[in-house]
Amino acid sequence: MWAGAENQGNFLGRISIRRNQVASMEPDTHVEDLDQFHKLISDKFSPLLTDYPHHHDHDGDATPSAAGDAFLSAAWVRKLLDAFVSCEAEFRAVLLNGRDLTQIVKPPLDRWIPDLFDRVVKALDVCNAVTHGVEAIRFMLHQAQIVASALEQRPFTEGQIRRARRALAAVLSSIVVDERDGGGKTTERSWSFGRRGGGASSKERHHAPNFRSLSWSVAKNWSAAKQIQAISSNLYTPRGGECSLAQSVYIMGMVLVFVMWAMVACIPCQDRAGLGTHVPVPKNLGWAQSINVLQEKIGEEWKKKEKKGSSGLMDEVVKVEKLAQSLTELTDNFHYPMEEDKEAEMAAKAAKLAEVCRRMEDGLGPLQRQVREVFNRLVKGRADVLEVFDHAIKHCNPSV
Amino acid sequence: MSSRHARAKSLTLDFLSHDEGMDEVEKEKEIGKSYSFISRTSEKTTNNHRYNSSLGSINEEDESDEVESDQQVNLDQLSHDVDKIIDSLSSDSNNVKEIEAEVSAKVIEYLKKLEIMIDVYESGENSLTFGQNPKKDSDLIESINRVSALHRSLNGSSRSNHATMQLLNETSVVLHQSMVFLEEELRLLLDEPMDQNSNSSNSKHWDTSLKTLKERFQSFAAHPEMGTGGGGGGDSNAEIGDDGNESIHFPSFTPQSLCNIGLISNAMISGGHEVECCNIFAIARRHAFEEELKKLGFDKMSIDDTQKMNWEALEGEIVTWIKVFKHCFSDLIPCEQQFYELILPNNPAICQSLLGDLACGVFSILLNFAEAVAMAKRSTEKLFKFLDVYETIRDSIPLVEDNKIGHPKQCVEDLRAKLSFAQMMLGEAAVSIFCQLENSIKADSNKTPVPNGAVHPLTRYTMNYLKYACEYKDSLEEVFQRHLKIEQEDEKHNLMLHHARREKKPNRKLGSTAGQEDDDEKKSPYASQLLRIMDLLDQYLDAKSKLYKDPSLRYIFLMNNGRYILQKVRGSAEISQVVGDNWIRRRSSDVRNHHKNYQRETWTKVLQCLNHEGLQLHGKVYKPYLKERFKNFNQLFDEIHRTQSTWVVSDEQLQSELRVSISAVIIPAYRSFVARFGQIFTPGRQVEKYIKFQPEDVEAAIEDLFDGNTTSMAKRRNLIQNVLSV
Repeated sequence: MWAGAENQGNFLGRISIRRNQVASMEPDTHVEDLDQFHKLISDKFSPLLTDYPHHHDHDGDATPSAAGDAFLSAAWVRKLLDAFVSCEAEFRAVLLNGRDLTQIVKPPLDRWIPDLFDRVVKALDVCNAVTHGVEAIRFMLHQAQIVASALEQRPFTEGQIRRARRALAAVLSSIVVDERDGGGKTTERSWSFGRRGGGASSKERHHAPNFRSLSWSVAKNWSAAKQIQAISSNLYTPRGGECSLAQSVYIMGMVLVFVMWAMVACIPCQDRAGLGTHVPVPKNLGWAQSINVLQEKIGEEWKKKEKKGSSGLMDEVVKVEKLAQSLTELTDNFHYPMEEDKEAEMAAKAAKLAEVCRRMEDGLGPLQRQVREVFNRLVKGRADVLEVFDHAIKHCNPSV
Repeated sequence: MSSRHARAKSLTLDFLSHDEGMDEVEKEKEIGKSYSFISRTSEKTTNNHRYNSSLGSINEEDESDEVESDQQVNLDQLSHDVDKIIDSLSSDSNNVKEIEAEVSAKVIEYLKKLEIMIDVYESGENSLTFGQNPKKDSDLIESINRVSALHRSLNGSSRSNHATMQLLNETSVVLHQSMVFLEEELRLLLDEPMDQNSNSSNSKHWDTSLKTLKERFQSFAAHPEMGTGGGGGGDSNAEIGDDGNESIHFPSFTPQSLCNIGLISNAMISGGHEVECCNIFAIARRHAFEEELKKLGFDKMSIDDTQKMNWEALEGEIVTWIKVFKHCFSDLIPCEQQFYELILPNNPAICQSLLGDLACGVFSILLNFAEAVAMAKRSTEKLFKFLDVYETIRDSIPLVEDNKIGHPKQCVEDLRAKLSFAQMMLGEAAVSIFCQLENSIKADSNKTPVPNGAVHPLTRYTMNYLKYACEYKDSLEEVFQRHLKIEQEDEKHNLMLHHARREKKPNRKLGSTAGQEDDDEKKSPYASQLLRIMDLLDQYLDAKSKLYKDPSLRYIFLMNNGRYILQKVRGSAEISQVVGDNWIRRRSSDVRNHHKNYQRETWTKVLQCLNHEGLQLHGKVYKPYLKERFKNFNQLFDEIHRTQSTWVVSDEQLQSELRVSISAVIIPAYRSFVARFGQIFTPGRQVEKYIKFQPEDVEAAIEDLFDGNTTSMAKRRNLIQNVLSV
């Protein structure tokens, strides 16, 4: 069975029932489509705003039931991608409805649609970069799991603590973030996780954990921030008189930029310097309201973490980092035997860490597959639209 | 690092000589020498070592040797005691009784010894490097394994017991120190092959190195104790190297390194540091693979960049990609698997998971490129490269399904899905490109006829394209079948959801035109598409033929092209099979009809001149009529000769068929006409004036037709002109 064929079924299944009704050839069906599209975006993106608990304590505590899909958690990112997939399917349906092919070869669509293809191709690279980012998180997870399992048995022995400390150092340095590279000045911007080896001689090598770097980049000199910028270039708000199909193409471009941006903010990616500034989501538009708020919230979070050379905003990662920091402090000046209350505190944190690790482990696989699903849909959608577009061009300008 | 290699090499060189059948004594001596060269301390400490007998004579510092020997005895005794302690701890794990002070002391002493042993490797300037002294290495590993076991047993007892806990704490510190040490050694060992490769990779042939690798693995397999990390590591070390010093290409570790990697990773796993161990493998091997891919010419590219590349450059990348992809699947990954199985023979699950993760990572990167290719702007000339990539991916899927690349299940499942998706994309792209051929035929709106009725360039292009495409027949059949399936799925959903949707989608309903001509056979979607293109070409040629004002030339054009198409079809078994015999028969008869039509169009008038009827008046041949006839014939024939010798029939057989058929009609008619009526003219001037061609001249002139060669034509024309002007 073809993966594509399966997807096809899903794709068609997602299109709203409304389309079962008789297709009318009236010119205002596109207006109706547009309203529907606006509504879908509001419907899909506003739950992302309201679902998350507003309060986190400093360890990233949250009630277990709500914790699973906390704001910016792996589950939340999946929901974001779900929303995107729905919008993409609706958009494809609107465009491929084929009610008025002549429109898509006339300005502005004759430029906007190829522009959209271009954006999609760029977004595919973002998807791939994000997939590598999830790999990086998984690497961090493995280190965190070492910490959690090292601190399972009490009373703690010195060996356990040392092992945990070593892994903690790895957790905290496991995602070496590009932003430190200094915004494009370095010649080779290979993004990596794991600490750089730095040619330590064999004599020094035992004194510090010395994690070899692993570049798993999209390509040399590739930059997620620049890519997001490129995706959003030439994305102009349509003028009032523009046809509703043009509005839909614009909206799709907008949603694409926003979702890619949010994904890059959450998940470590190759070179994100300057990510904070690149999302031109229009203000004061009804349909874009929830996206506006989301963007603001994520932007705030980003500003807070950017300076620290953040490994991304993903809730689980942030929690692991916080727990790792406080566990590192607790392991300082360890002497066997450890004081009872200090040990209890540590064990509690370790248990929390184990809990976050479990969530992370459960979340990363589905997230990675969801990113892949977005990739597949973008590819498939592009191919479908491209076919119609090419056909329309040939049909309407036989001289070409 | 390099000195380390030099040493390793000298070691293995000696093992090689062992292979070449030296006698026992000499061999021992040789080995002894090599050992003394590498590290003196090595021999001195190995009292019970099998090389000992031949080494005694070389000992020069007997005193220090004795001290070390004493220590060895001491250590052996202590090891024995600790083993007993481990046994007793694990045999009564429920026993909560205090550990005796004496026992504690022994354990602590042993831990100290281990610390000292590690220190030898870490002590600064003169420290030992792992791999330098196999005996010391294996002693160290043995001790670490013992401490691991001790830690496990202590851990298994009650933690509420103060003395046990105290001892566990002490043990844990040394165990951790050991593990960190091993981790770093493993990292260094795994990084080694890259330095080595840079010198030697190009000179080696894949096949031979793969063979060597396999042989070596077999020779390893004969030493099951090697992987257990127990004692005797030194001995197996010595035997492993016995079939040569050449390192395997990829993963290119020397036998020594392989052995050490095995010892260390097993010690780490039994010390409970499996995750750390796997992490090191994962990072080092991924890195090695990335380097290897780079060396093979594959560079990562973003999809965006791929789209911007020109086709020629991309074509080159595709060729490289195919090589690298196949090489990964058939050589690198299997070698990698053997590598893991060799290193970790007792941990098949770890092997599978390491291999699976690595393979998924590597193939994800490789597949990104294939996906990027599938998205490249589609145009007809790209079909064959697309199909090459398609086939490469298609052929790899069964290997994934057979778990040839290891598994954590989910990751392999994801990889399989990725492969299928790439296959689907490439297949759809191929279908779309193949169908574009249709467009390029339809789109040609050139209004100038091909000069002289020759084969149209588009006929050549299309037929050669189809012929080439038929070399990919199986793949094309497959992609068209799959495309049809997808379309049908779409159709089904369309019906269910909304019948009007896609109404205007470009209609590429394959198979709908299939039976148009060949109702007797059911054609595959690909065959239908091919026939459809041939039909389109026919229609196209028919339209083009109408551009000729001269109906004769029109038939020549149709004949030329029809013949060309038939030749190409007959020349390719695949196309013949696709189009079927009926089709070929029908086309042949079309060409024959064009021939007949041409003959009628051009030569009927000529034959009318040679008609024996209608020349008489009042029962006698009327001379003015005859004069008129000859004049007409001369004029007509000259005109035909002049124009039609510039026409082109490049197919020699067709050319001669045409000439023969013309001669067959004209020559006898002319001959008999001249024979019968020629004598009526007054011999001399009148004959010369009206009978300008002898039948032989006519024959020769017919041989000039359809030559397309204007120079020789001019000569001939001059000749005839001369005749006429006389």
